[in-house]
Amino acid sequence: MLVDCRGMTMKFGGAAALTQVDVVAAEGAITGLIGPNGAGKTTLFNCITGLLQPSAGVVLFDGEDVTGMAPFARTRRGVARTFQRLELFTSLTVRENIQVAGEIRNRWGRRDRRDARVECDRVLELLGIAHLAERDVTEIPTGMARRVEMGRALMTRPKILLLDEPASGQDEQETDEFGELLMHLCHEGTAILLVEHDVSLVMKVCSYIQVLDFGRIIAAGTPTQIQTDRAVLQAYLGEDSTTGGAS
Amino acid sequence: MLQDFLAYTVLGICLGSIYAIAATGLVVTYSTSGVFNVAHGSVATMSALIYWQLRFDWDVQPLVALVLTVCVFAPLIGLVLEVVVIRGLRGTSEVTRLVTPIAVLLGVNGAATWIWFRNDQRSIVPKRFFGLSNVKILGQAVYYHQLIGVALAVVIAAALYVLLFKTRAGVTMRATVDDRTLLMLNGGRPDRASLVSWAIGAGLAGLAGVLLSPVQGALQVFALTLLIFDAYPAAIAGRLRSVPLTYVGAMVLGLSKLYFDWLSEAGTRWLALKNLRIALPAVLLFVALLILPQDRLRGAIVSRTRERFHVPTMRQAVAWGGVLVVVVYMLQKLMSGSAVISLSNGMALSLLAVSLVLLTGYAGEINLAIFTFAGIALIAAWQFDVGPGGLATQKSMSVGAILLAICVCAIVGGLIALPALRLRGLYLGLATFAFGIIVYQLVILQTQPLRGSIFGWDFTVNFFSTGSLTMPRPHWFGIDFTDQRNFLMLMTVMFALIGIGLIAVRRSAYGRMIVAMKDSPAACATLGMNVTRVKLGVFMLSSGISGLGGLMWASQQKTLANNNGFDGFQSLTLFMIAVVGGIGYVSGALLAGIFLSVLNVVMPAVWTKLGHDYPALHWLFVSVMKNFTMFVGPALIGIGLGKNPSGIAQQIMDGFRPLRKTPLAVGIWVAGLLTAWLFAWQELIGHWTFAVIVLLSVVLVPMVIKAIHPDRFADDERAIHGEGLDQIGLARPFRRSDRALFDDALGIVAPEHELEVGRAR
Repeated sequence: MLVDCRGMTMKFGGAAALTQVDVVAAEGAITGLIGPNGAGKTTLFNCITGLLQPSAGVVLFDGEDVTGMAPFARTRRGVARTFQRLELFTSLTVRENIQVAGEIRNRWGRRDRRDARVECDRVLELLGIAHLAERDVTEIPTGMARRVEMGRALMTRPKILLLDEPASGQDEQETDEFGELLMHLCHEGTAILLVEHDVSLVMKVCSYIQVLDFGRIIAAGTPTQIQTDRAVLQAYLGEDSTTGGAS
Repeated sequence: MLQDFLAYTVLGICLGSIYAIAATGLVVTYSTSGVFNVAHGSVATMSALIYWQLRFDWDVQPLVALVLTVCVFAPLIGLVLEVVVIRGLRGTSEVTRLVTPIAVLLGVNGAATWIWFRNDQRSIVPKRFFGLSNVKILGQAVYYHQLIGVALAVVIAAALYVLLFKTRAGVTMRATVDDRTLLMLNGGRPDRASLVSWAIGAGLAGLAGVLLSPVQGALQVFALTLLIFDAYPAAIAGRLRSVPLTYVGAMVLGLSKLYFDWLSEAGTRWLALKNLRIALPAVLLFVALLILPQDRLRGAIVSRTRERFHVPTMRQAVAWGGVLVVVVYMLQKLMSGSAVISLSNGMALSLLAVSLVLLTGYAGEINLAIFTFAGIALIAAWQFDVGPGGLATQKSMSVGAILLAICVCAIVGGLIALPALRLRGLYLGLATFAFGIIVYQLVILQTQPLRGSIFGWDFTVNFFSTGSLTMPRPHWFGIDFTDQRNFLMLMTVMFALIGIGLIAVRRSAYGRMIVAMKDSPAACATLGMNVTRVKLGVFMLSSGISGLGGLMWASQQKTLANNNGFDGFQSLTLFMIAVVGGIGYVSGALLAGIFLSVLNVVMPAVWTKLGHDYPALHWLFVSVMKNFTMFVGPALIGIGLGKNPSGIAQQIMDGFRPLRKTPLAVGIWVAGLLTAWLFAWQELIGHWTFAVIVLLSVVLVPMVIKAIHPDRFADDERAIHGEGLDQIGLARPFRRSDRALFDDALGIVAPEHELEVGRAR
């Protein structure tokens, strides 16, 4: 397993955002992580990338324990991410947002340097945002801004890409194209851990899905298994009001 | 021994109680409005003066005077601040939210000086409640005044607890800072809650001011403000949120100050540390900041601030650098000796301020001790070039001295930044401010030389041992820079080169990295950047530049006394003016320096001359305008920042940007200016006439050109900041004419009658 979280627990004061969560993401695959709002998906991402220190549990990356490592050290081992609440560099243009990521990459990966400008052009083309390159990043629509964040993450040439609701803000056609883009990236060798509310997208592209609810994993399996899982249906549709839908 | 210990403990608790009152005021405003009220000390000072006025000048009953001061006047100041200043700060960056209260501080203190101390040598001596009446506690005589302080501190703690946690108003106040919009959606009134909290905070500041003012003897405005600053570490100990922890911090503060008195035998014991008594709160502030829990990496707190900075191209940078040098050269040809000195002072301050463009403008970090670095640079370079017993007048400033000054400043910058860099914005600012005070008290005011030995090499470092240091001017390339005009040109060329260098940095990969770090440290970390290391590098680089600028500034002053601007307030002023000028621009730093010099020297001189020339209007020019410019002017400029957080440089550039489309007209204008300059140089027209021509043309020409070619500027309204329609109202205020843009974008045809109404208005 590329990413292997074991027994992740995260407490904020008295409230537990994650309780004993085990999440995995395999090499060369798109793994889905779904769950209702407030289930703990973003908290889990923050724990994996090191922006939060979990109260308990370990994060293994490629078999190495990275739990105590700083965020930048994890990125240097091959983890990259996007943010649900956009974290773009608002003083920079679209091109600069992506290019600077390559420049940061060149600083820490001196043995494997590439021309950041050329790489940036390639990524802009790949993501279909080349026409926005010279625009101010605050001017472009949210859906496109999410692609900029993704481009930025790709510039670090990660082994795994953690995407936090990348399709929100995109229309149906854009989402379809986006799904193909994800599969293309996966085909090229970048593993993906996908958090997404658009369940049809998740079902289409992911080979393995884990479902998080109230800070616990309630189901894991292939798309077909998840679609028929009782616990998942309860959590999403609130079939039984005494459990999932109560709060 | 035990007797002494008990006695000092009792006195420490008394002092701690007053600190507690002052510090809880800070906590109340911060925890309900999110603004750290740097102006807290000045509100306290103003209140102490109002109390003195009522009680001792107008003989009002003490209790009535106290109630009027603490429950009426001080809260009123708080209310005015909230309405006029603080509301404008929403959606601005942390730097702006720090700078505006600094402006308020300087303004309130300026106003106090103007009202009570404009006739220099006035002595105002506040007295204690109940005079010298006292009671013995554990063998120590304690004044009733001190007991009142302790009692009030206890009552206030209880009252605040009840207010914040047991009443609806308190919950609303706390909710305001957590999520304003959510509170409004739930029917709360954040504006009212914020008003209440500012009134309470100001009232507490007022009470602390009244209680603390008799400690000083004769009241001095800035000294009393600094005394209230002493309470800041207590507020930090409470993490600006917890009232009980703030009280604990205040007690630790009061006790440690008194215990230090006891152990050092009132400062007579360890001579080199005799000022530690004054610096102790700053030391504790520094320590309190360092032991705060590590702030986790955050993303952008305000996702879209109103500040936007353009980046000039290298070609523009070089061109404007050249223009600056040529313009200054031409101007000084027309200037009198004293005017050249004023301009040189301005240029020296600009050289000092330009380091902030890198640090704050690009990287978003804060340094509130810029003059401290100037002092350190001066001490280092002076050891190298002059040394004990040397005569500065016979020497030239050497390149070695400059390099030493730059290196020492960079290293000191690194040493202070290393522990402080895990702090964010405000806290880093406070840490640097505390550092400035510590260095001022323990190094710059140090009279004992530092003697030591490294590997058998004995050395002596003199600080300002005789109270002042004289740094020689350079004598390079056969040019004598003791000549003021030459030195002005040297500084101008240096400024232009540093400016071009900074823009080159900003345009480089490194520049993009530090800007990215300012925008979102969290995103940078997840791209593999070691944020702490990059921050450290920027801080060191900027400190080095401020060392160079500081050395030039010191050299411009020729002889610099140790009380010349190192006490912290001048650093605050320069930082504030630099932000107002436009901290993201090299031109903003230039404006800041010139502006400060004009405000401090030129404007007062102009008003005095006008008052002298027109005796009938002397009262207006001197008593009103001159005092206003000197005392309140800088503050008003800073307070206006909330309206235009990108700074004055940006405004000016926006004003002139449309002219790029009419090169012929601009050419004619420049040729006209050159002709006027030639006439002035040949003394065919007076210098004042020339100045008036320049100023008028700067204002009128863009207007005239715009009037002649309205068609060429039609689309500028839309692209004025290069932003989309959604930025209108954020990046600049909404104008009536914008409506047409929205209608156009949405494909709506405005009804005819509405257009008529619009025109009629």
